[in-house]
Parts: sequence; C-alpha cells; structure tokens
Amino acid sequence: MNGMWLHRKIEENTGLLIFGILFVSAIGGLVQLLPILEQDSLETAAGNTRPYSAIELTGRDIYIREGCSVCHSQQIRPLIAEVERYGPYSRAGEFVYDRPFLWGSKRTGPDLHRIGGKYTDDWHRIHLLDPRAVVPGSIMPAYPWLARREASAAGDITAKMRGLRRLGHPYTDAEIAGAEAELEDLLEIDALIAYLQMLGTGLGGEDGQ
Amino acid sequence: MTADMPTAFWSGWIAVLTLVSLAGMVWLVWSVYFGRDKGQESKPGPVWDGDLKEGERPAPMWWIWLLFGSLIFSLVYLMLFPGLGSFQGLLDWSQGSRVAASYDDYEARFAGTRAEISAMSVAEIQNDSGLMATAERIFRRECAVCHGPEGRGQADMFPNLHDVDWQWGGEEDQIRQSIRGGRNAVMVGWEAVLGADGIEQVSEYVLSLADGVAANHPGKAIYDRNCAVCHGADGAGNPLLGASRLSDRIWLYGGDPKSIRETLTQGRFGIMPAFDEQRLDNTQLQLILALLVR
Repeated sequence: MNGMWLHRKIEENTGLLIFGILFVSAIGGLVQLLPILEQDSLETAAGNTRPYSAIELTGRDIYIREGCSVCHSQQIRPLIAEVERYGPYSRAGEFVYDRPFLWGSKRTGPDLHRIGGKYTDDWHRIHLLDPRAVVPGSIMPAYPWLARREASAAGDITAKMRGLRRLGHPYTDAEIAGAEAELEDLLEIDALIAYLQMLGTGLGGEDGQ
Repeated sequence: MTADMPTAFWSGWIAVLTLVSLAGMVWLVWSVYFGRDKGQESKPGPVWDGDLKEGERPAPMWWIWLLFGSLIFSLVYLMLFPGLGSFQGLLDWSQGSRVAASYDDYEARFAGTRAEISAMSVAEIQNDSGLMATAERIFRRECAVCHGPEGRGQADMFPNLHDVDWQWGGEEDQIRQSIRGGRNAVMVGWEAVLGADGIEQVSEYVLSLADGVAANHPGKAIYDRNCAVCHGADGAGNPLLGASRLSDRIWLYGGDPKSIRETLTQGRFGIMPAFDEQRLDNTQLQLILALLVR
C-alpha cells in the first residue's frame, strides 16, 4: 500500500473524502480538548477560592456591564516582571467560580487580578467617581451613576444564584433566600467595590515565587 | 508540578494519538514521494489539456526536507518540554520554575547590594542621591496612588507626608509600623450624643484651638467631656491612638467649618493598608523610610 494509491482512492470517493477530512480535523480536539473535560485539577478551587456572595456577584455583573474587562485584564502571567508589579501569578483553580472568566485580552489600564485589599474602600469610591482626584494622569472614565443606582436593580440576584447553582456552584437555599436582603440599601458602587476587594484573594498560603 | 496533569489513561491517550499522528504523517509524505511510480500501475488517472497528469513530477526536495525537519523538530520538542501526556520532558521545564529561576538569578545579582542598603541607616541613605532617586521611584509605584505623586496628600482624605503632623507618629519606628502593619483610625460619629447644637459648638471650639484654649467658649465643656480623652485637653492629639492634632491649622479632612461639622457628624475611618514583605521588602521599606523620616 502506498500514499499515491490512497490519494487516488480518496479523490474518487466523496464519502471517503468527507470522512477523512472529519477524522483528521478531529485529532486536534481529541488530543487537546477531550482529556481536559476529565481533568479534576481544572475544576478544583485553589486555596480559599469560594463562590461569590450575593453582593460580590452583583458587583461582578456591574463590572461586566460597564465593560471594565475591555481595559483591565485579570490574569497575571508567570513572569518576574508581572509578579513584581501585580503579585503572585494567576492559577487555573482561582477561576472555577468565574462564569464566564474575565481574563481580558488588553491592558489599557493595569491588571486587576490582585487588586483585592490593595487599596481601601474609600480610595475605590473616590477613584470610580473621579479617577483624576487620586491619579492625576489617569485616562480612566468616571462612573458617577454607580453612586446613584440601587444595587438590587442590577438584575434578579435570586435567579442568577439559582442558575449558577445548577451549573455546580455550591450555594445553599439559605444563601439564595437571603440574597435580596443582603443587597438592601446598597448602591451599585458598594457592590462593585465589594467585588474588587475580593478579587484574587483566594490563593491562601501559596505565593508566586 | 504534577498537580495539573491528566490522569494515567488520558495521558496515554494523548501520547499514543500524538505519536501515531506523527508516524502517519511520516508515512504519508514518504510514500507519496517515493511510491509515486507504482501508483500509476493500477489504472490511468485523469488527463487534462492533452498531457497533464497527476504525480508526474516529484515535489521539490527542499519541501520534503522542510516537512521532515518540522516532524523531527516536534519530536525533539516533545522530548524536552512537557506536552506528551503527563511526561515532564527531559529539561523538567515549567512556567512556575521559570519564575523561580528568575528570582534566583535576581537574588544572585542583587543580594549584596540589597544587604548593603538594608544595613545603612536612614541618614546614610539620605546622603546618597542615587538611592534617594530609587526611593522616589518606589514611592511613586506603591504610595503615590493615595498620597499623591509628590506625597502632598489628596482628596481631603489621604495625609500629606511633608507637613509636621503625623497622625500615627513621625519617628522612624512609628512610620515603619504604619507601613508594615497598616493603621485603622476610628473616630465615631457624634451626632446622636451631641445633637446638632452640640456639634455646632464643638466645631467652632475646635477651629479656635489653633489660637489657644478659650476657657469661656461654650464648646469647651462638651469637648473636655467627649473629645479630650483622645485628642487631649489642649488638642495636641495622640499618635498612639491615631488621634490628630487639633491645635494647628493642618486638617486631614478639610479645615472649613462645613468639613469639621461633617467629620463630627458622621465620624472618620481612615485606613492605611498593610504592606507586607511580598509587596514591599525590607530593603525597599528602608528606602521609603529614608524618604519620609525628617
């Protein structure tokens, strides 16, 4: 048997050609994708990573709505320059409760994966409402409406948590039932700050060096 | 390092599929190139334009070697680096160990210099303009976002580091403690206790403290009863509690009557975050101290 014979055979038989194309292009997926579906380490939370609380989840949705991930990435690469600037590099297990993950692809502003705990709540409040008040050269837009809207109006939190539980996030009935009460009297900016302050804090004892 | 590896079955799956595909491509290229004559025995193929048939000319030799070369390259790559299932590769390379190696290299190159700087006193560093320039760079990276690019404070909330008022003390050890451990200042709101009139009187009294204690001011009695325990009877403040000095004209949260009233009404909770060694190591801290201590 040789290749020229096979070549002719395939060329003269459309059905065989279609099957051959499908088979060859499936190999990449069989090698790269199929084993990952069975890989536990990608489903296991790293360190103290936990599901988002009702407030943090609302903040995360505001983060998505305002397009923060367009200018800010959430992935610190394993390179000394990044670790020095931002903190320990990102681990796969830190994103198990991110649906979808917000790694981003462009840094117009700095990476935010380790922003949690770096600045105070008050700083974030001033900075979100008027970035130039604390960072004179900043090109970030101001988000004044975050301090005017109720956090509970940013979507049906109960439905969101139920949906995520169906996808495997371990929310209890009590947490879902109490979600709306948690958002009471909070503004959107409070929820967003709560989300920012917990970002990247799940690594626990591991460090990036 | 093996935490992120697939199980034994899937590891074998990846390795076998990869190697079989590689072997398949070698066979395909080899047989198409060297078996082209025999192929024409079975039956004549299609002919175009009178004399144009398939398989007449061999592909150029450089093209064949390019293909074989890339196949050999991928085989060598899979031997050296992780990729073939859970096989780590002969170089034992990983992204984590690359970062660790960068840090080892960094340590090896700068450990001596860093030890030298750590051993220097604040005064010695202050006499070295090169080190002070480095200190300013660290300040701009870690501190400027709150305290301002020049350290002159901003937003009526983050303290000016150039004036004489240090809420938590301006000695070297006190500043080191403020940076390493962070600070949480707590002044509760006094509206419920003092009422609107009380707040009005105390705010007037506090504003007048810079001119000395006015014994007959109506706010004095309220101040002595409620505020003096932290801020002192003469308003000198107390760095142990983070109670600001009120007897000068430097105000952290604004010194106009309206801001003072607001401070008294709702309280102030100034937070200085802690900078652990991951964020600011001992050498960097020593440089920052040289910049701040006067």
